[in-house]
Amino acid sequence: MLTELLQGSDAGGFIIIRDSASCSGRHLLKSFINAALNRLHFHNAYSDPLGWTDKPTFTVHQFCMEELARLLKQTSHPKPATLVIDSLSWILRHVSPPAVCATLHQLRKGGAVRAIVALLHGDMHQRGTVGSVCHLASSVITVAPGMKGGDAVAKITKRSKSGKVVQDEDIFTINNDLTVVIQSKHSQVGHKQADPEEQEMDPTAHLTFNLRLSNKEREAKEKLALPFVFSKEKKTALLHSSPGSGRILYEPDANDDYDQEDPDDDLDV
Amino acid sequence: MAAPVSTVGKPSAERLPLNTTSFQKKTRTKLISIPGTRPSVQNGQLLVSTGVTSLDYLLGGGLAVGTVLLVEEDRYDSYSRMILKYFLAEGVVCRHELFVASAQDNPDDILQELPAPILDDVAIHKPVEQPRLSCEPQDSLDAMKIAWRYQNLPKVQSALASSSRFGHYYDVSKTMEPEIRQAAKCHRFYLTEHPTQSPPTHSTMLESYSALLKSLQEVINSEGFDVAAPMSKSRNILRIGLPSLGSALWGDDLSCHDNPRNGHALATFFYGLRAMLRSSLAVAVVTVPSHLIQDRALMGNITRLCDNAIALESFKGSERETNPLYKDYHGLLHVRQVPHLNCLASKLPDHKDLAFKLKRKQFTIELCQPVSTIGCQKSKVKLLTVA
Repeated sequence: MLTELLQGSDAGGFIIIRDSASCSGRHLLKSFINAALNRLHFHNAYSDPLGWTDKPTFTVHQFCMEELARLLKQTSHPKPATLVIDSLSWILRHVSPPAVCATLHQLRKGGAVRAIVALLHGDMHQRGTVGSVCHLASSVITVAPGMKGGDAVAKITKRSKSGKVVQDEDIFTINNDLTVVIQSKHSQVGHKQADPEEQEMDPTAHLTFNLRLSNKEREAKEKLALPFVFSKEKKTALLHSSPGSGRILYEPDANDDYDQEDPDDDLDV
Repeated sequence: MAAPVSTVGKPSAERLPLNTTSFQKKTRTKLISIPGTRPSVQNGQLLVSTGVTSLDYLLGGGLAVGTVLLVEEDRYDSYSRMILKYFLAEGVVCRHELFVASAQDNPDDILQELPAPILDDVAIHKPVEQPRLSCEPQDSLDAMKIAWRYQNLPKVQSALASSSRFGHYYDVSKTMEPEIRQAAKCHRFYLTEHPTQSPPTHSTMLESYSALLKSLQEVINSEGFDVAAPMSKSRNILRIGLPSLGSALWGDDLSCHDNPRNGHALATFFYGLRAMLRSSLAVAVVTVPSHLIQDRALMGNITRLCDNAIALESFKGSERETNPLYKDYHGLLHVRQVPHLNCLASKLPDHKDLAFKLKRKQFTIELCQPVSTIGCQKSKVKLLTVA
């Protein structure tokens, strides 16, 4: 899935590359720039973020909708641009997370940019902050160090507009010309070991008595008259008795001696 | 009805369409029957359906009018959003009025994604979800020779459902047709359309929440959902859906920081919301991204301030996804709070380990089957084939 994300960032998409101290995501971010760009406009907010000099190029406080829209209009390119943010973390240090989330949301909805790709250092912020920002994103790529030296593992979570969530895992390396090479798919070693199927003990084996029936025995079993077997009409009547009718259906048995004439005939009085 | 109102809470004297008993309570007061509601069999509260019949059963028959249902979202907000859509779709089908307020998505977009109702199921009385053996007498009599008296009893019912039908079924793969949807009146509140001014200094609530409460108050008063309003016109229920309340887009840093600066803003909002709902004919379903809120004490506070609270935990992306015990389900459902309205104690649910599954035509909530029965079923099948 990493190649799909690199090639076609769909309109309105917001990709966050989340890295940590163990593995940097900046190279992947540069690959994204490489894959997506025709022209590159660079706004330097690193040298003077808080505007201490007289002529700052870009300050963090300019990270709001109006200023960014103005900056984007300056490029005078007909197609909307892709906004790449190297390190949202630096912005989150100076601007409160709700404001940053609001700005990013407005950028996505407003149509001023085609897509946003941002780098976020996951271990620099509190869990809630990282979670809130990633909650806004349509795709989150978490970069972790891989097994071998040059490899890195990318865990991708993509949320489509219909609410469907797709997850994937890729091992990749980045060449010197900033192209991404995907290694073979990460065959889940580790937590998904196939449990060996327990041999189901067949309890009917090794018995001293016979559990099977021969054909003749089976016929004799079918012919046996069961004690409470009733006629079909009576069964249906009992099963589908209408509610509210408490009828008692009695069929006199062989043992019942129902003599109409004199019930006390057998008394010796 | 949660508020002590004399007229609205009495059960209807006319025969409810889905009632199976012939018992009719004699009442002297003129009663109001609002379509899509029914009185609770336990305490006479007026209930509405949430749109999910299993959830209605869990909540004691339905959602009481004047209460709040809190749904703690799952990690990617897929199933909690689904429950909200079921709730709003049920409102459209029952001809209630809707109020949707959102900070992230446009309320119109949410309303366009409502699932389509399966309308031919509405008229049928027999409960569809109970698994029944075939009702034909010929087949059934041949099926059981010895235990034929137990023929027509349903199998062990693991899906939660009540005996009488209340609520409708929806097909998730289709969206509701625009004609049906436009027949229902809907009020919207989209936060980006309300520019926020600087907050008043002494308020504990954020301006976004205040704006939302004010808007709700206006709708309730102007459209006549207030219980104190004159009874002349026909009454209706207002269904309020608030997706993702408390997220960073509402301006709240409750989900961003471990020690939020205005940590009680959301709790104050719920307090105000519940107070407003108690005196009006309205029901609210609110979803909160609780997995982002790190302060569990605040989350517990918010849970206590709502009447009903459930939490959804989806298996997607967690290690439970590969657990064979959970392979039939999409996630777990935890009941955090049950309401006790006008009484001292509430009826706690019998079962604690509930799991949910979103099928195309139904959102089922079932008991999680324990592992031992799965093993027994396998060996039982083997023995039967031999003899």
